[in-house]
This record gives sequence, C-alpha cells and structure tokens, in this order.
Amino acid sequence: MTLLPFVLVTSVGAAIALLARRNEWLAMAGSIVCLVAAVVTALAIRPGEIVMVGGSGLATTEYLRLFLVLGAVAGLLLVVVGEAVGSRRDAPAVTLGVLATSALALSLPDPRLAVLAATAGGGFGALVTLVPTGGRSASTVGIRVLRATVVSGTMAIAATAWIGRDLSDLVAQPVVFGLAYLAFAIAVAIRFGAIPAHTWAARLTDTVPESALPLVTAWAPAAFAIVALAWADASIAPLGADIDLGSVRIVVLAIATASIVLASVAAFIQDDIEHVVGYAIIGDAGVVLLAVAALDPEAWAPARTWILVFVMARSAFAAWAAATRATFSTGRVAELRGWAIRSPALAVILGVVIVASIGLPGLAAFDARGAIVGLAIDGPLGTLVLLGTLSPLAYYGRLLVVGVARPAAGEGTRVAWRPVVSPLDLTDVRRWLRRTWSENLTITATAGAAVLAILALAVSSGAFGTSKAAAGLPPTLEVSTESFAPGAPEGPGASDAPSAAPVEGESAAPVEGEPSASLAP
Amino acid sequence: MNPILALVAVAVIGGAVVVVAARDARTVSVALALTLVASPLLADPLAMPLGLAARLVGAILATYLLWMVVRQNRTLGLLPSPTSGSRIGWPAEILVAAAAAVVGFAAHGLGAAAGGPPLASAAGFAVATLAVVPVATGRDVIRVGTALVLLLDAALLVRCALGGTPGDLEQLVAAGMLVVVAGAAAALAANARADGSGGFAFVDPAVSRLRREPDAHPLDRG
Repeated sequence: MTLLPFVLVTSVGAAIALLARRNEWLAMAGSIVCLVAAVVTALAIRPGEIVMVGGSGLATTEYLRLFLVLGAVAGLLLVVVGEAVGSRRDAPAVTLGVLATSALALSLPDPRLAVLAATAGGGFGALVTLVPTGGRSASTVGIRVLRATVVSGTMAIAATAWIGRDLSDLVAQPVVFGLAYLAFAIAVAIRFGAIPAHTWAARLTDTVPESALPLVTAWAPAAFAIVALAWADASIAPLGADIDLGSVRIVVLAIATASIVLASVAAFIQDDIEHVVGYAIIGDAGVVLLAVAALDPEAWAPARTWILVFVMARSAFAAWAAATRATFSTGRVAELRGWAIRSPALAVILGVVIVASIGLPGLAAFDARGAIVGLAIDGPLGTLVLLGTLSPLAYYGRLLVVGVARPAAGEGTRVAWRPVVSPLDLTDVRRWLRRTWSENLTITATAGAAVLAILALAVSSGAFGTSKAAAGLPPTLEVSTESFAPGAPEGPGASDAPSAAPVEGESAAPVEGEPSASLAP
Repeated sequence: MNPILALVAVAVIGGAVVVVAARDARTVSVALALTLVASPLLADPLAMPLGLAARLVGAILATYLLWMVVRQNRTLGLLPSPTSGSRIGWPAEILVAAAAAVVGFAAHGLGAAAGGPPLASAAGFAVATLAVVPVATGRDVIRVGTALVLLLDAALLVRCALGGTPGDLEQLVAAGMLVVVAGAAAALAANARADGSGGFAFVDPAVSRLRREPDAHPLDRG
C-alpha cells in the first residue's frame, strides 16, 4: 500500500529526530531528509487503496493525498524558515510526528480509531515548547497544550464510542445524539483554541516562534476536525429530520461566531505579530466550527476545501511573520513603521497571503466560506457572520498602514533582497556553504514565505484539484469508486458526503466498522 | 460477574488511586504501569493476542518513559522530586473512586445495549473521576501528565464497555497514542526538572517573588 511508506518515513523520522535531539545538526539533517522523503512518498500515494488489519483497516483517498502533500511541503518550508530565523529544536520532529498521525487519522475509516491517531498528533505538538534552558515555564505551557489535547481527545473518544453501536433500543435518543455531537464539537473547539477555550493557545503563542505555531494550532487540529466532520456527517446529520439539535447547534454556532469576530478584534489590538498570527489562526478555525455546526451534507465539500485553504494560508502568514521579524529584528507592530516600503518583497507576500486567506469572488476559498456560513446560519444573522469572516481585513489593514507609514529617522534604508553568494571555494566547500547560509538567512526566510504564499493562493483558487478532492468520499473499506486518474469512469458528484443520498446503482450499506446510527424502533 | 474481571477492575482502580494520591513520583510511575497493563485485560472476550500484546508493550513503554524521568540518582544530581499528591488523602480518593465505579456499573451501556462488560464501565468512570481533579488543578508536570494518561485510559475503558473488545488495529493505535502522550509528558517533566531546584513544579519555589505592594491607600500610612 502506498500510504505505508509515508507513515514509515514520518514516524521513524520523528522518532530518530527526537532520539538524536542532543546532536542538533544530526537531528536537523535527518529531519529535513525525512521531510523531503515525506513529500515524495506523499506524492506517490494512490487513492482508493485498502489495507485490512484484523477487522479494520486503512484506506487512501485523493483528499488524504492532497492534505499530506501540502502538509509535507508546508512543514518542510516552515522548518527551513524556522532554521533560518530561529525556531525550536524539536520543530522538525514535531512536524514529522504530526504528519504521521494525520496520515493515520485521515485514512482510518472508523472514527473511533481516527480520533486516537488525531489525539496522538496533538501529543507531538506539545513537544514544540521544549527549550534547552529556562524549561520550567515552557514545560508549563507544554503541559497545558497536552491537557487541551487529551481533554478534547477524551471527549471525542467518548462521543464516538457512545453512538458507535446499534442504538435502536436506546430510550433517550435525542439527548444521546445531542450530547455526543456537542462533546465532539466542543472537542474540536478546544483543539483549535477557539474562544473561550483559547487560553492555552494564547500562552503557546507567547512561547513558541511563529514558524512552529501552525503545526500545533492549525495542522494537527485540522486532521482532528476532518475526522469530526466525517463522523458528524455519517452519524449525526442523517438524523436531522428526526431529532431536534437546534439548542445544541446554537452553542456550537456561538463558539464559532465568537471565535471569528473576537479573534479578529484580539489580532487587531495585539502589539506583536506572532500574537496576530496566533489569533488569526483561531479566527479562521471559527469557520471550521461553523462547518461542524452546519450538519448538512452540502457543507461537506466546502468545509474540507476551507480546511486546506486555512492551513496553507496560515502557514504562509506565519512564515511571513517570521521573515518580517528576522528582517527588521523586531516583531512589535509599532516598531515596524515603513516595513512595506523598506522590503517590498515582504509587502507582496503579505498581499498574496491576504488574497489567499480572504479570497476573491470566484476563488474556491471565498465560495467555500460563503457556502459554509450560508448552510450554518440563515437570514440576516448569516449575512452578519459572513461579514464577520471578512474582519481579518482590519488587522491586515493595520499591518499595511504601518507598513506604508514613514519609517523612523535613520531607518529608511531598503532591505537587501538579493542573495549574497561569494565565489565557490572548492578547497573548503563546507565553509563556503556555511557562510552562504549565514549571509542569506533573512532572504531564505522571505523566499520560504513567498513559496508558501504562492502555494496558499493556488489552494485558495482551487488548484491541485482541491475542490474535487474535498468533495470526495471519506476513507472507506469498500471498494472505492473515487478516482481522478485519466480514464477513470467518473469523478465524484457535487458532494460525496457520507450522509448524502446514494445515487442509483450505488450501495447505501454502512461501512464495516463504522457506526450505524439508526432511529428505527 | 466474572471474579477474575472483578479483580482486574480492582487492580485498575487501585493503581489509579495510588497514581493520584502518592507523592513519590516513582511510586506514581509503578502504579500507572499497573493501571495501564491491567486496563486492556478488562474486556470480555479478551482481546486477540496481537492487539493485547500491542497494548501491553505500549503500557510498559509509556510508563518506562515516565520512569526514566522520575528516577533518582544523587551522583548524577537527580535529587528526589516529589509530586504534590492528593490534597484530600488516599482514603477519600478510594471513596470517590468507589462512588464513581458504582455509577459506572449502574449506568452501563448509557441507555442501550452495550458490547463490553459492566466492570469496564465501572473502572472507566472511577479512573476518569480520579483523574479530573489533578488534570484541572495539578501544579506540577508529573501530576498533570500522569492524570492525563489516566484520563485517556478511562476513555478507552468506557469505549470498551460500550462497543465491546477493540480489534487489533484499534489496540495498536491506542497503544501508540498512550506512548506519545506519556512520552510528551515525560519530556516536559524532564525539561522542568532540569531547570532549577523546583523538581516538576510549574513554579520553582526557590525563586523569590517580588513582593507586591498594596494597591492603593494603605491604612497604616494614612
């Protein structure tokens, strides 16, 4: 099976990087080699494959492949940016660990198993707080990250177990389904650090560099959220006509809306750009929560499209923040006056990030976000929330206003943007490489941010088959009909959500090992 | 009721009581090993050998990672680093666990037919109840970290009680998850212990804090 090399490379790479962490050079080199191998093995994944283990198994999908390819590329670029501008020693190992667990979470058809893998991914995320000196406060932040991960994982395990069986003789079905749904939705909110469960994420933002932040607060929770979406769509959404989940949905909608609006407010008033990045991630995660609250098969494809856009755009924003901090030796917004004038390359990158994250009408991201809001909230309130999703323009605008302001006296010089490469010294290539690297740190970071921004814009516009992959089936142990290979009979329809009505000729039988929610007396 | 399963349930709950009540971090590790090793045995029918082996190896590896962190060796400068233990004492913890076990046993299936034994439900509820307080109020990394592992183990027990004995792949993934979480807790604990003389505490008590003056208009100064 083509997924196994990816899981092997990332999991073994993570273990090696953690075991060799005392030898920083060895750990870094090994991690980068494994990340490059992860990109290659992710590209080699073939959708529609199945591996049976006991009564359960793993299955690959086009969406899994795209998520892992983008994750491996973004992880590699973030590691390079982090290495250039200063990051955590364990960030590469954490990247590999998150990729390995995400691969398992997205390939396990049974949500009861998938939540275990997604929870393990959060466990890796806590390691990013480790520092060689002054470790006590970092450990305190790390254990809070672990606490958020485990509490949300426990809620998800309980929710999937509770209704992951025959419930035909259950006496209090609406209560059970409502509580299980609420537990999993709140678990997703906790994993993303959504408001009001954002304290751990805020402390994490104080502790880790920008380049490491998206791993813990975006990529790892994204896999968890995708599992939640598949579970809700297969187990809860089909019962929408039979049971009233209105009051429960209001709670989830309130958390989502509060996260979208208040995170933008918080990002607007922050003094440091790493806090702006941290709250920007929380705000975009609010849209994911809206998708969880929608409970509509039509939200399946937009939600999964938005998740890909979200993780890529926020990775690019974090890389931009890291490059900006390194270029100007400060992350305080007030001290960055004139940054866009002094470094036009960074200004262009931020512009691309803005377009990728906010989107333009016609782009996949813009349409997906609009569809999610429309399906989650009706009427004028929906319009208000849709306007709220544009609130990131406020903090982007503030950054741009500061960027075009007149620089402080004596700081008006332009930042060099061309690489500095001295003539190759064949007698001592290692020294030449080291010198070239150290002389181009900020340019390397800027280039990494630029590549990430372009990738984010491509995903936002629907390139790489994002929309088709997002509309595809979740992993299934039945023979998958999903294929976008040339000559394949037919791609998926508008929505292949688990709860979508089966088309003629297709079996509607439940997948082996998946919960069969039924209200039949 | 199967008496062997009852003994296993007592072992699981007893280990969890020691984990949350003991102050010696090494004792906590050994008790955690007992709970994690006994938990996968609390199933009817027993798990298949491959899955069971995965859980047992995972339990031993998870606790060994914590054991490496809490070991004492004065020649290496690893001084005894106690954890804060229970604030209400082990007898009270036993009563709390017993009450929760009764609730779990009575609520087995949570309103519908369940696939696993009621004793797993009882043990799961008891372990979860014991873990909640240290997770929420713990002030040192080992106490919170071991409680987090207990919380996950409780969730797995309840899952087994509701859905029946997990398959091989689920046992393998569960073992991996426990190892990752315990390993992360161990790494964080080691990082805290290496910083100053405060052991695993969130705040080093040896670091003096600035005395904060009264906010406004102290009465003794007129």
